[in-house]
Amino acid sequence: MLAVRDLSITYQNNKVLDGFSLNLEQGDIFALLGESGSGKSSALRFIAGLDNAKGGRVELGGRELSIDGGHKIMPELREIGMVFQDYALFPHMTVEKNIAFGISHLRKKTQKLHVNALLEMVDLSGIEKKYPHQLSGGEQQRVALARALAPSPKLLLLDEPFSNLDKNHRDKLIFQVRDILKQSSVTSILVTHDRDEANMLADKVGTIENKHLIEEKK
Amino acid sequence: MDKKCLKTKIWTSILALLVAMPIFVVGFAWFLPEHELWQHFSTTLLPDLISATAILLIGVGAGTVLLGTVLAYWVVMVEFPGRKWLEWALFLPFSVPAYVLAFVYLGVFDYSGYAQIWMREFLGLPGFDIRAGSWAIILTFVFAFYPYVYMMARASFKRQKVSMIEAGKLLGARPIYLFFKISLPLSRPAVVAGLLVTLMETLADFGVVSLFNYDTFTTAIYSAWGDFRAVEVAAQLASLLVLVAFFLIYFERKARGEAKYYSTEVSNKKLYYANGLSGWLISLFVVSIFLLAFMMPMLQLLIWGWESIEQEWSVKYIDFIYSTTILTVVSAIITVVIATILALPGQCKTDSVWLTGIIRLATLGYALPGSVMAVGLLYGISQISVISVYFGGESINHIIFGSIFLLLFAYVSRFMAIGYNSIEAASKQIKPSLIQSARLLGASRLKLIWQIYIPIMAPGILAGALLVAVDVMKELPATYLLRPFGWDTLAIQVYELSAEGLFERAAVPALVMLLFAAILMGIFQYLDKKFFKTF
Repeated sequence: MLAVRDLSITYQNNKVLDGFSLNLEQGDIFALLGESGSGKSSALRFIAGLDNAKGGRVELGGRELSIDGGHKIMPELREIGMVFQDYALFPHMTVEKNIAFGISHLRKKTQKLHVNALLEMVDLSGIEKKYPHQLSGGEQQRVALARALAPSPKLLLLDEPFSNLDKNHRDKLIFQVRDILKQSSVTSILVTHDRDEANMLADKVGTIENKHLIEEKK
Repeated sequence: MDKKCLKTKIWTSILALLVAMPIFVVGFAWFLPEHELWQHFSTTLLPDLISATAILLIGVGAGTVLLGTVLAYWVVMVEFPGRKWLEWALFLPFSVPAYVLAFVYLGVFDYSGYAQIWMREFLGLPGFDIRAGSWAIILTFVFAFYPYVYMMARASFKRQKVSMIEAGKLLGARPIYLFFKISLPLSRPAVVAGLLVTLMETLADFGVVSLFNYDTFTTAIYSAWGDFRAVEVAAQLASLLVLVAFFLIYFERKARGEAKYYSTEVSNKKLYYANGLSGWLISLFVVSIFLLAFMMPMLQLLIWGWESIEQEWSVKYIDFIYSTTILTVVSAIITVVIATILALPGQCKTDSVWLTGIIRLATLGYALPGSVMAVGLLYGISQISVISVYFGGESINHIIFGSIFLLLFAYVSRFMAIGYNSIEAASKQIKPSLIQSARLLGASRLKLIWQIYIPIMAPGILAGALLVAVDVMKELPATYLLRPFGWDTLAIQVYELSAEGLFERAAVPALVMLLFAAILMGIFQYLDKKFFKTF
């Protein structure tokens, strides 16, 4: 399903990743652990097509997306969803418009049905008309998740999406997110520096150590 | 209310009201007895004035928004050849006064200018009158004022969260869709603020419109006073401008208030890479704007200046430089002294809605054309004389009208906002705890001002002084109306020579003026480096 081969990333002339490879099957939830500066977010951004790398290849669903550290397919055509650390919700749009952003090519009625179904899935029905600043951190996070899932991506990337939440809130949300991901059976990669978070959410866990990925048995 | 507070309030109010005097006078012009000339102005001229001014504002507004926003978006979001230096170069047209740009364009592109001569002789195309219609004057204003929109839009694009655009990309949105759906709506308040400043400047302009023979309110105000000596009519016309300016200020403040979606971090990450032909095409466009708005006019000024320096330069330039220096320095000092007094932090001030209101009124002058300031003052003084004569006293007209007092007054009123904003921003660094600890250490109010407030606010005071000085140096309409005999400035000399079509000779005072501005900047940077590096 997803194959990343020989990814190497340098940051300010320092090699942070070297020969990073990863294989995921359809519906896998994978957590990528690592200390800050270990290159885990950079790996995610390379897979998304947002940043270039020194070398590496990405294949998703049989389609070659990136090769030799450059991108063959632009981010907007990759069918990859992403939840950012700061959620990156569009502040001037309502929840409804945020979620519908990626499916604006569909008919209005279909869009509406999609949005409602997603809001129900993330347990936020009834807040369609609210703006992001009117929501709590946890609600914003779930809206970001619904938005990323709306165009039915083949792969979902989660870049430390729980780091802005307090612990009690976070644990509850992690289980909720896991259910949602399982329900939509989307292949996902979570980037985090928190081992508990990784264990709670993911089926498979890998750690970046000495510039390489070491997959762990769960 | 304690006694001390009352005293502070009274003195600050008097000072602020004095600064706002011309605005008040003009505002009350409608209570004046109807002048017979008003009939003539309102029936024959007013409809044309309104439509000509509206066309100008719409054209300049649309042009600056389009150019300023697109340029800002490109330099912030797209990597293209030459982007780094162009990002800064695009600010440079700020340093050239609009009327200087106007006379260079007239000299180069008018029927007798070499651009048209070349077109006729080598391409066989028919010539055209650059003053006909409004497209040429609109383009001149657009090249002179686009930096206002560019500057504000650029800052706002820089503060947009990169992750938001990236999220949009990953949701399948193409660059153009993202620009219209995300970047532009989020920058709207900044673009609108830039647009409104542009409109205020256009409305206030006197030099460009008169060089292009384009009649607007400002030229009519000048004509009412200059040609007919009807200060009441001038004041009534000016009050219409005050009304428009108030609307603009209201919307500008509103636009600023709405700007709440910014990230505090400034990002330098480029979201798009324009490689190959598209990158070079963007470069070509941006470079041509820079050439047209700055490089070509500067080169042309240098060529003309070189050719005519012998004919134009004489001892009278010593007088122009002297007048410009005295007016610039004195008005900058008076303005920052008053602005500092108004901006000094104090509990009495923050508690009083009335006082904050008056201070705000005193800083409205920037939105008003210099001609409005001038008319307000002329009318105010002439009324004081009328009252004085009525009570058996003497007219003060002859004393006031022959001195530079009125001119300085007009400068201070007009440019108070620039000084005040800069100094007030610096005063925000004075934390309440700082004041409290100084007080607990036994500092008197005077000691507090000298040893705490002024040193902390000094960089803001210096910056305010520089900005005021540069604006006073190039000010035209108020200077034109109010200067006493023998007080011609460099700006006046530029205007008078170019109004007669002597563009080559006008290049000499224009270059001296630009040199003057460069020296002011140099002094500012030197002082800033020497004294305030720690701030």
